[in-house]
Amino acid sequence: MTGDTVTRKEISVVNRDVLVIGGGIAGIQASLDLAEMGIKVHLVERLPSIGGKMSQLDKTFPTNDCAL
Amino acid sequence: MDVGRHPNIRLLAYSEVEKVEGELGDFKVTVRKKARYVDESKCTGCGACAEKCPTAISDEYNLGLANAKAIYRYFAQGIPSTYTINTNFCRNFQAGKKCGVCAKVCQAGAIDYKQQDQVLEVEAGAVILATGYELFDARRIPEYGYGRLPNVVTALEFERFLSASGPTHGHVYRPTDLALKESLPELEKSRQKAFKALEKFEKQFEKTSDEFYPLYEAGELKGEDYEKWAEQVRAFRDLDGEVQARKEKVASLESAHRLAFIQCVGSRDIRFNRYCSGFCCMHAIKEAIIAREHDPQAQVYIIGMDIRAVGKGFEEYRNRGAKESHIEYVRSRVAEITEDKDHSPVIWYEDTKERVVKSLPVDLVILSTACEPSPATRILADIIGLEVNDFGFYATDPSQPLDTSRPGIFVCGCAQSPMDIPESVAQASSAAARAAQVLSGSGTLRLAS
Repeated sequence: MTGDTVTRKEISVVNRDVLVIGGGIAGIQASLDLAEMGIKVHLVERLPSIGGKMSQLDKTFPTNDCAL
Repeated sequence: MDVGRHPNIRLLAYSEVEKVEGELGDFKVTVRKKARYVDESKCTGCGACAEKCPTAISDEYNLGLANAKAIYRYFAQGIPSTYTINTNFCRNFQAGKKCGVCAKVCQAGAIDYKQQDQVLEVEAGAVILATGYELFDARRIPEYGYGRLPNVVTALEFERFLSASGPTHGHVYRPTDLALKESLPELEKSRQKAFKALEKFEKQFEKTSDEFYPLYEAGELKGEDYEKWAEQVRAFRDLDGEVQARKEKVASLESAHRLAFIQCVGSRDIRFNRYCSGFCCMHAIKEAIIAREHDPQAQVYIIGMDIRAVGKGFEEYRNRGAKESHIEYVRSRVAEITEDKDHSPVIWYEDTKERVVKSLPVDLVILSTACEPSPATRILADIIGLEVNDFGFYATDPSQPLDTSRPGIFVCGCAQSPMDIPESVAQASSAAARAAQVLSGSGTLRLAS
């Protein structure tokens, strides 16, 4: 992308919370990172527990350690 | 995992997003927190309710390979550990039945059959979509027989077989062998019933069945009652023989030794998804290595067009699989799977080196199914009004891979495109940083044009 296609938009930040939708490994990682930065996170998960597909894996590549 | 106790994270599990209004810096999101019928603040996760619950249902976490109860926890180590009632099966919610067992045994008094869905308004400056993926439904390729041939399973189902906490406690038994094992108690019950019926006749006529039957056959005893008794003797003998035969069969069952993985099931296939799902090659190799660890006799084939071992150390892992776990990599696109006697699958494929069609009989076939956008991705794209690409993943610009078509809404993980766990984690951290950056109050936002 070249510089002249970049546009800038004025924004006003009213609320500094972040909503994360999906409690799989990606949503969990994003939530934890934000929380560690001091940002308040609302994490929404459709299922009764977070963990997503990764929680169903027995062990993960490459170290074959437990996924949980 | 720390998510459940981090002071900055408010966890809204068992909830769905219904509406997203506003713009970057000021979103108003409507979230429906579905009723669990269990008070989250009271439930201690002890499990007494599930132990006593009379209704067994198929376990979603174990992909229907095991049973759960109508009051359940998605999985044992799940966060939050609160139990949830599945109203589709719970007797209390099905008309005309009364139960209330869980409420009686719950010492915390957490069960609340009158709980309602809560609709919450969440205010946030930015949104991160991490809606993940769904696996390709292998039934869409009828020639592979998934759903029709019992010993053809998916890689995620096989994962549960390998797991020590899974339905087979880490032993790789074939689904038909498991079904045989499970059918035994039922058969023994019918045998017991037939035995009781015989006892009634024996009491009535003061003769054992073994004494009676030769006499009856010799024609010395005639009459309606004797005929009924004889009928019952024959039925019992049949059942008894069946029980013995099945017991012997179950005792001689071995775990599956010959395993074959079929790659690109639904990926790199112009009929379904043209893209490579990325993680399935390494997933198959990992499962093959673990299967071999569990069973040193296992012979594993991985059949695919090629092995895409892209990444640091991936190729070495592939080679280690061949050298130490004796994985045999077969270069081919499988044409069809048929069934031999005893439900053993037979794989038909063209050996592309020798240019001949070959067949390979195995004990169990594992399909490496493709990564597709999850239903939640589609639904949210509609709700929020986001663009998706040709495949249904959230559309992003190559130079801004975290930004969706609406400012302030970011995406990470398999909602953006198929990727493995380390990539998902890396992208999630990036999305978190991107969200923090735009909310840092610099006042301007750099947008892709």
